[in-house]
Amino acid sequence: MGIDIRKSIIIDVSALTQQEVFDLISKEAVSNGYADNTALLLKALNEREAEGTTGMMDGFAIPHAKSKTIKEPAMVIFKLTDGVEWNSMDGKKIDFVISLMIPEKEKGTTHLQLLSKVARLLMKNDVKQLLKNANSASEIDSIFTRYITK
Amino acid sequence: MSKFNIVAATGCPTGIAHTYMAQEALEQAANEAGVQIKVETHGQIGVENALTAEEIKNADAVIIAADKDVHAERFEGKKIIDVSVSRGIKDADALIQQAIDGKGRLMVSTNRNKNSGTQEFNSEESEKTNIGRLIYKHLMNGVSHMLPFVVSGGVLVAVSFLWGIYSADPTNAQYNEFAATLNEVGGLAMGLMVPILSAYIAQSIAQRPGLVVGFVGGLVASNGGTGFLGGIISGFIAGYVIVLLSKMLKGLPIALDGLKAIFLYPVLGVFITGLLMVGLSQPMETINIAMMDFLASFQDSNPVILGLIVGSMSAFDMGGPINKAAYVTGTALLAQGNSYFMAGVSAACIAPPLITGFSVLFFGKYYGKEERNSGFVNFILGSTHITEGAIPFAAKDPLRVIPTLMMGSSIAAILTYLFKVQVPAPHGGFLVLPVVTNGLLWVIAILTGSIIGGFALGMIRKHSAGVLEK
Repeated sequence: MGIDIRKSIIIDVSALTQQEVFDLISKEAVSNGYADNTALLLKALNEREAEGTTGMMDGFAIPHAKSKTIKEPAMVIFKLTDGVEWNSMDGKKIDFVISLMIPEKEKGTTHLQLLSKVARLLMKNDVKQLLKNANSASEIDSIFTRYITK
Repeated sequence: MSKFNIVAATGCPTGIAHTYMAQEALEQAANEAGVQIKVETHGQIGVENALTAEEIKNADAVIIAADKDVHAERFEGKKIIDVSVSRGIKDADALIQQAIDGKGRLMVSTNRNKNSGTQEFNSEESEKTNIGRLIYKHLMNGVSHMLPFVVSGGVLVAVSFLWGIYSADPTNAQYNEFAATLNEVGGLAMGLMVPILSAYIAQSIAQRPGLVVGFVGGLVASNGGTGFLGGIISGFIAGYVIVLLSKMLKGLPIALDGLKAIFLYPVLGVFITGLLMVGLSQPMETINIAMMDFLASFQDSNPVILGLIVGSMSAFDMGGPINKAAYVTGTALLAQGNSYFMAGVSAACIAPPLITGFSVLFFGKYYGKEERNSGFVNFILGSTHITEGAIPFAAKDPLRVIPTLMMGSSIAAILTYLFKVQVPAPHGGFLVLPVVTNGLLWVIAILTGSIIGGFALGMIRKHSAGVLEK
């Protein structure tokens, strides 16, 4: 199997602000059972953001949270209909959000390595291009699977 | 010869994403530039792709793209480009090019120029903020190491008061052997506070040689009665004395490196810093006596002026000569039967830790986890008259925090004098309430000052947090 990690991919998410995106991520994570508590997850996302922006370049952001409310390593991936302001590194608005959920006490390193690999992928121009062009959840899923197992 | 060879280290606080993105960016950039690179990552998992001593030795340049300590001292003698992790992601191409061009600061025996790499091509971004940040980093290193000493010592002393505030005094009826032991152990832990503060400020500036010198300098400061402000000064002196020594001794042959580390730095450093600190401590007694005379002349003046003076003095250096002057005057007047004066001093000594406590209570999200916890512990320390609890907060940002504490303490002292509170005990905080006249008013006075002070401190914190984020 490709990526041994739970993930939820949604395209055409509409949100006006970063906070709204965080809110949607938290709800999605809780409804999928990745985490217990939306408020705690929201707080963890914001705390990480306060340490430095997770808005990278070319419209990609990788908000991540490490919290005891998170039950298992997981990803929530949104493709936004419109760019939102994220104070990103290149100043561009963010329209592709890949959020990483990390449990407070992650025992194995496998999952952490996977998440780090995802982060690395976002530095690759060809992957970024593919993701930008993808317009279905399954397409996005297969891009990740292809590149991560590679 | 082989290709141009770069070693790099990346790291970020969470250690999940940025660390690896910087690694990827640097590897790509190096690949494009046709140079060789090995990137060590400091992530959540730990250090991966670790650089060996051999690899570092063979490297032509070093790039550090990290927001955490990646043990830069390993790169001594190398040209280093040192930037934040986000620049590593964003400007990897430029960093590689700078490495090839031989830019970057040469690393000599200390990493005092931690940000120098950044400064070189970033000089427009005002050197001032870098220096400010550097000072803050050194202070933080001292404060975070000091904190557990304050907490452990303070809480043990506070617990010993449960047997009565004189329980450590063998001549008193309250004497209890166990309480006395708690008090003594707690006192020793708190006594290490200033030396530790000084030692780790110096360590942050000049690594291990700094640690030794800072420790001794801090002990001199502590014994000289300079309080924590003296500890901060001695930490910086110690650190920069080592930096200076390393510059002066640069000419020595490499064969003598071992001698430097084990003999020259500690001996010369301790000698110089020790003498300087002894010199600085000398006037402390004079200051202390002068302040006591000054204060005594005000003992009968109006409550507002007296409260303002007592409050400001008590919160100014929290255990230094000025605070001691207020406290000792209070105990002296107490011996003469004036228990009004001491009430204000106690109020002003209780307020600072409570101010920090209320500040983290109201403005928790602007404080780190460690600070929040120590702020809550400060409710215990404040309630038992252990002013030192506020020191870790004050030491981080003395210029803003100390005036705020002074204001809060002054309010507490002024109200105490207006309410005509009498406190017949020299210590113990709220534990002596049963013997306090107008005890309820006293508590109100202290809480009023503490809450106002806590609110002001939180606002300052909020403001500076906003500035930092930029």
